[in-house]
Amino acid sequence: MNEEWRLLKTGFNNAFNNMAVDKAILHANSKGLVPPTVRFYGWKPAAISIGYFQSLMEEVDVEACKKFGVDYVRRITGGGAVFHEHELTYSIVVSEKHPEIPKNIMESYSRVCGALIKGLKHLGIKSDYAPINDIVVNGKKISGNAQTRKMQTVLQHGTILLDVDVDKMFTLLRVPNEKIKDKLIADVKERVTSIKHILGENMSFDVVAEAMKKGFEEEFSIELTEGELTVEEKRLTEEFNKKVFSNKEWNHMR
Amino acid sequence: MQSKSVYKVPDGKLLKIFLDYNEKNDSINNIRITGDFFAYPEKGVEIIEKELEGEIIDKKRLMKKITEVVKKHGIEFIGLNIEGLAEGIVLCKHE
Repeated sequence: MNEEWRLLKTGFNNAFNNMAVDKAILHANSKGLVPPTVRFYGWKPAAISIGYFQSLMEEVDVEACKKFGVDYVRRITGGGAVFHEHELTYSIVVSEKHPEIPKNIMESYSRVCGALIKGLKHLGIKSDYAPINDIVVNGKKISGNAQTRKMQTVLQHGTILLDVDVDKMFTLLRVPNEKIKDKLIADVKERVTSIKHILGENMSFDVVAEAMKKGFEEEFSIELTEGELTVEEKRLTEEFNKKVFSNKEWNHMR
Repeated sequence: MQSKSVYKVPDGKLLKIFLDYNEKNDSINNIRITGDFFAYPEKGVEIIEKELEGEIIDKKRLMKKITEVVKKHGIEFIGLNIEGLAEGIVLCKHE
């Protein structure tokens, strides 16, 4: 009998709420209040998230974001800036001590990415893990991932691109040199792909989520049972939303 | 003197360092280590920034100091390493 983990489908929310929910699950799980959890979610409105160590003003054109109604938020995980629009985002929260989770951080990236690779296979897409934290299809990036470990608990979240608009992305992200912006956009278009580009048709969020659910179940020999955020997690979400993710000091910290 | 470097760590991520240093003796007043790398625990980077204040900008000396701090606090980098970090700091001086 496979171990049962919780599955959360929290729908589409704004950036601050999305990041607050992941942190709330991390805290609740670390206190033993909730089982290991896999969550699928989307972003409304579209948003930029930056890595914990990135400089907001260096990476994000804040004025352009305001103009286009795009939110921006600093993550608690490292890694790079991501434009979240047409994608499925997942998070996984599980104790560092869980037998399925490698102690070694790179190995644990590879395991979680393994779940996504199995999920993509259910959609008929062959993909590979590309260390440090990407998944590629024919050498092009389809997924970026970021992990943190706090209170003996692992949180990894990441994206699977359903579609991608590189031009729009670069109206929102800052580039080091305006003169080479066109070349940079052309390069990124060459290096990034999406489920729509590969299959030649749109795949709905729900279909991709179902495939990813199977991928996680297979990779970790678990059964995912749909559940809800607990009252305590909802309280923590409110708290982290207000005190951390929608707080200017947090987002402009670097 | 305010300075900045952008350095692609070999086999790693893009490191961007903002440095304020004393031109008279090449010592660090203040440093901000930014980029798309990973560090565990994350607070380790703030500790390194604090510990580097007053240090002389010299690659070997910086590597020695960072190694000490990394060992003491059990910091692990991914997409960054001690030599890359020291190199990024030294590059601030050359610009």
